[in-house]
Amino acid sequence: MPADPNMKILVVDDMTTMRRIVKNILKQLGFANIEEAENGQEALQKLRAEPFGFVVSDWNMPVMTGIDMLRAIRADPQLKTLPVLMVTAEAQQANLVEAIQAGVSNYIVKPFTAETMQEKLQKIFK
Amino acid sequence: MHNGNLKLYAELGELARFVEHAIRALSQAGAPIASSSTGLPAATAHLIDLSKLTEDGALEVMRLTELIQDNRSRMLKELGAISEILETVDCTTLAQRLQKTVSGLAQDDKLLMEIMTALSFQDLVAQRVKKLVGILNDVQDKLMELVVVFGIQEDVNGAAVTGKTGELLKQLEASKTTAIKQNVADEILAQFGFN
Repeated sequence: MPADPNMKILVVDDMTTMRRIVKNILKQLGFANIEEAENGQEALQKLRAEPFGFVVSDWNMPVMTGIDMLRAIRADPQLKTLPVLMVTAEAQQANLVEAIQAGVSNYIVKPFTAETMQEKLQKIFK
Repeated sequence: MHNGNLKLYAELGELARFVEHAIRALSQAGAPIASSSTGLPAATAHLIDLSKLTEDGALEVMRLTELIQDNRSRMLKELGAISEILETVDCTTLAQRLQKTVSGLAQDDKLLMEIMTALSFQDLVAQRVKKLVGILNDVQDKLMELVVVFGIQEDVNGAAVTGKTGELLKQLEASKTTAIKQNVADEILAQFGFN
């Protein structure tokens, strides 16, 4: 099923720069309904408060990391099917394996291009 | 028996001298350690500044890029509308040229997006700086432990250690670790006739 351009997307990153980059790419790809969160905890609060169709998250964040947020999402009956794309500088094989085991939908290593983001989105929403 | 005691005393005296020498050597090494330790907070501050500067720079480039993107988007719409008008008044050749220009300009959108995504370097810089700051803090803590153990309370210029280092030294002074060790050495020395 192709991605719905009207779906609400949550971009989770503690860095303003990265949130703006991801938002801009998503905007260019045709997604305009985008919200932001600075860490996993804030993201979980937003996800539990209103429906989202997709989450793009960093790994290293204060308060709650991306991987902990992912585990919380997969453990939550209301959120467990929500697609989560990790965009992270954690490029170790062990990190990727950890993310896969936690139930990540796909994984992008920083720095990345708009094409990579588009390709991953297509794979997630095929 | 008497000779045995003398030999034992001589050996203990030698041992006491070795201990005193070792403590002095360690104390001398402590001064440069203290100096390095006091420089570490400044290094940490520089790294944090570096991270902030790259973030400010990246955000400014991003702001300007977004402005260019918005302006271009408006211009492309306008050119598209003009092209349609030209077609309706049968200026086909002119309309086609305009369309070609619009297509050429659209290629720049990709480049602008690449500029935008290239700014993600800032996030990588910030993460590495954070790791470096963590390492520096760890090294500083370890050096501080050494400084306290060696009892170095002044820097290489003889000035009293101030700031975090001084504060830590004051907090840890209560342990009197070095004094106790020196006392033990002095006690042993005294027992063997060293005054």
